[in-house]
Amino acid sequence: MVKETPNGVTSDAARWAALIEAVATRGDREAFATLFEHFAPRIKTFMRRSGVSEQSADELAQEALLAVWSKARLFDPGSVGATAWIFTIARNLRIDVLRREKRAGREYTVEIDPEFHVDEGPQPDASLAASQLESRVRNALAHLSGDQLRVIELSFFDEQAHAEIAQTLQIPLGTVKSRMRLAMNRLRGLLGDLS
Amino acid sequence: MTIHHHPPEELLVAFAAGLLDLGQHVAVATHLVGCPHCRDAGRTMEHVGGAVLTDLPPTAMSSGALASVEAQLGRLVPPTALPPRRAAGLADIPGLPPFVREYAAGPWRWIAPKVHLRPIELPVASPTRVFLLRSRPGTKMIEHTHTGFEMSCVLSGSFVHAGGHFGPGDFDFGDGTDDHEIMIDSAEDCVCLIAMQGDLKLNGMIGRLLQPLIRM
Repeated sequence: MVKETPNGVTSDAARWAALIEAVATRGDREAFATLFEHFAPRIKTFMRRSGVSEQSADELAQEALLAVWSKARLFDPGSVGATAWIFTIARNLRIDVLRREKRAGREYTVEIDPEFHVDEGPQPDASLAASQLESRVRNALAHLSGDQLRVIELSFFDEQAHAEIAQTLQIPLGTVKSRMRLAMNRLRGLLGDLS
Repeated sequence: MTIHHHPPEELLVAFAAGLLDLGQHVAVATHLVGCPHCRDAGRTMEHVGGAVLTDLPPTAMSSGALASVEAQLGRLVPPTALPPRRAAGLADIPGLPPFVREYAAGPWRWIAPKVHLRPIELPVASPTRVFLLRSRPGTKMIEHTHTGFEMSCVLSGSFVHAGGHFGPGDFDFGDGTDDHEIMIDSAEDCVCLIAMQGDLKLNGMIGRLLQPLIRM
């Protein structure tokens, strides 16, 4: 992962948010292309690591960016950071694709988004502004070692991906889980310290 | 509502990462309804997810991918609100997340003295079963262990076991190693949402007699 200074963080996060808002308010295609160039190849990696084939991962990354376009007006920069918002789109698409595989042939679909709306209000809890949360997370991640970052990453993938990482880090699979726990504890400590 | 028992952190992380099966997801979501603390933790993890995503190494997109997507932009119809789904019989149960209230549910059925169970039908196949369990005040639940895990989220009333006292919003995670002897200690019925994998193994004579009948 790239380590950035707090200032770089803020401007980077604000830049993505501004691009999404440009898409939302003006249907700005140049802004969309910039989002596409950055996020589509990374969502493709996200899907590949989730066990999706090369071709499907490419299609899903395109689908995710289409969703960014069509949902841009729902993006609320006060309550969620831009990268977190795009992450939730990719995450929900991944849930959907795994279900598509399982229901094989059955026609109905279930909307994933409502499954993450657990409170009654129209807005998620915004006890902390998204920009603060975003830079706090960034700062905390910047304090972790490279190996710790790799295992934090792993928390976002299933066990198949863990086996691959275990291989690249040359540690036994059993050790991966305990390292994930340690890294997560460290991250939680850092998030707490920075609050 | 004061919540004392939360899901283990790994569960909250897996929830935010979208890695739980739907049955587990429903149990954690039910806890989140009443727990701003865990909602914040989940929201933080989504931001960690965003940071992870943007730092992943890129995989080159197929040639013409952007052009192909751009060609579709003009044709995209903005999403309209879905028509409300058929309200199922769960609307009267307090503390369920809105999306769960729309699920279909079977009727309450008697499974043991003073204990009724109501299955919740998940819209997609899940290895984890979800049901409501309603127990009368003073019920002493049959001592049991399980072969898989069990997540309980209290919706109303309360119970107590060796691990503590559990009231509305509290989340109890059993991984199959604990021997539960549960006492319903509220004056009203205790209703819990339970997500379970594996089978219950009821201990004791009555449990062994009931086992074939209950099939929880």
